[in-house]
Amino acid sequence: MSSHREAPAISQDPVADNADVYAFVSPDHPETVTIISNFVPLQGPPGGPNFFEFGDDVLYSIFVDNDGDALPDLTFQFKFNTTLRNEDTFLYNTGEIDSLDSPNWNKRQFYDVSVIRASGHGNGKKQHHEQDGKGEVIGQNLACPPCNIGPRSTPNYDDLAVAAVHSLAGGIKVFAGQRNDGFFVDLGAIFDLADIREIVNGMPSVDPLKTLNIHTIAIQVPISLLTLDGSVPTDAMAAKSVLGIWSGASRRKVQVRDENGSAPKGSGPWVQVSRLGNPLFNEVIVHIGDKDRWNAVDPIDDAGEFESYVNQPELARLLPALYPGAFDHLAAYNGTPRADLHAILLTGIPSGIVGGFQNFTGPNPADMLRLNVAIPPTTDNPNPFGLVAGDAAGFPNGRRVFDDIVTIELRAIAGLTIPLVDPSYTVDAVVTNPAFSSNLTPGAGRYQDSFPYLGTPHDGFDTPSS
Amino acid sequence: MERLSRRSFVKIAGAATGAAALAAAPPIARAGIGEEGAQHVDPSTGVPEEPVVAYVRDARRGEVTVTSGTREHTYRDRALVRRLLHAARKEVS
Repeated sequence: MSSHREAPAISQDPVADNADVYAFVSPDHPETVTIISNFVPLQGPPGGPNFFEFGDDVLYSIFVDNDGDALPDLTFQFKFNTTLRNEDTFLYNTGEIDSLDSPNWNKRQFYDVSVIRASGHGNGKKQHHEQDGKGEVIGQNLACPPCNIGPRSTPNYDDLAVAAVHSLAGGIKVFAGQRNDGFFVDLGAIFDLADIREIVNGMPSVDPLKTLNIHTIAIQVPISLLTLDGSVPTDAMAAKSVLGIWSGASRRKVQVRDENGSAPKGSGPWVQVSRLGNPLFNEVIVHIGDKDRWNAVDPIDDAGEFESYVNQPELARLLPALYPGAFDHLAAYNGTPRADLHAILLTGIPSGIVGGFQNFTGPNPADMLRLNVAIPPTTDNPNPFGLVAGDAAGFPNGRRVFDDIVTIELRAIAGLTIPLVDPSYTVDAVVTNPAFSSNLTPGAGRYQDSFPYLGTPHDGFDTPSS
Repeated sequence: MERLSRRSFVKIAGAATGAAALAAAPPIARAGIGEEGAQHVDPSTGVPEEPVVAYVRDARRGEVTVTSGTREHTYRDRALVRRLLHAARKEVS
């Protein structure tokens, strides 16, 4: 999956598991950027009585680099606190939840938002693990919505979700709570040795995530608060137009658990246990023995060994073996460092490769989403295949909620983007075969047109339906 | 006690890691009470809300890491390491 359960350690720690990151110029508010970071993946909607929530003992962070050094210039931090109204019931709610302060809602979650602003270039700034979680508080005791339980408990769920969109000073909006998981992939096929159903069996693909929920932290920030000089760039070729964006989750270094069942107490600095920039990077590119370490370090540490995984991706070697005769050109090219993938994933695409576009952040190889904020959002029939299909507002120029990143990255690794850096390369015919894709179109309700852009979560009474 | 910077410590850590760990709260003086070199703890100084934890990071180098709040410091104190390891042996015997 994008980054759902992608590494051994984090697969056992769902509340800290950073599953997806999205960053895009907001289509309905193009003076802002929306960043979405998802956690607690693969939620079965009926999962009560203790429905899903963020970890009170986890520090959630969204990082923004605006000067191309792969270090955070702005860090938005989110810390949660869960409260009980009534300890003498087993129920999450004792009646209909009709507001965020409903007396019927027993187990509620609140959060604080802080921002850490760094300045200067390079080593003067701190990496995430040297930050102490004590930034400037910009939002306090903000209410999350409940989980979507069912028609008797949460009959007007959308009203609750709207009430949980909080406006902060400076034109910032935040939301934290359950949403529909917008990511789509035929998991069963991909992890059965890339057994793409439409190609191998002539069968339609299956999207197991279409009935699952996730927990979303979303923040919408005026572009002028994110850029290096406080401007709203309009020149797509200017360096200052590009933001590097990633997110992560950290836990305290030591946890002490008493015998009385009370919540464990933490001690020591925050230690990162999950991070995510480009989708599928740790999932598909990094080898399993290094995945936990990759989660613990920062984008600026991606040079070297992690960089080598990009230059020689294992999947590019596997495809010719799994589909004999279909990837002969790729097989012959394997062994040549993949400068195309290195640019897409680690440095951004320099000017001169794609006409009128760049999202280059400099030579430091670092896994970040790179968003050129001078590219306006595509509001008329945006193409889910993004930049490779001519829609420069989509992945890998940031990532929109509906971008088909499985198809984009599968085809890129299979050689589709090699001609960008090596015009003599001929792409294998199968790569542009429509069936060589996710073969999935997300259904109605997966997304919405306004913040936080991911759709209403499935309710536990109706999902699954039988 | 010699204090190491985090960066210098990270470079040398990872070879031999902790052989013993003691949580200092609530049994704050578990390792020291009644033993030679134990120090008196004045309750009036206040008990931290969160645990203060000391653990042997590298016994061979005599390094102890202390975590408190969101900070950690690593010290080189061979005598303390010996006492912690001694206390740990007593705990398991």
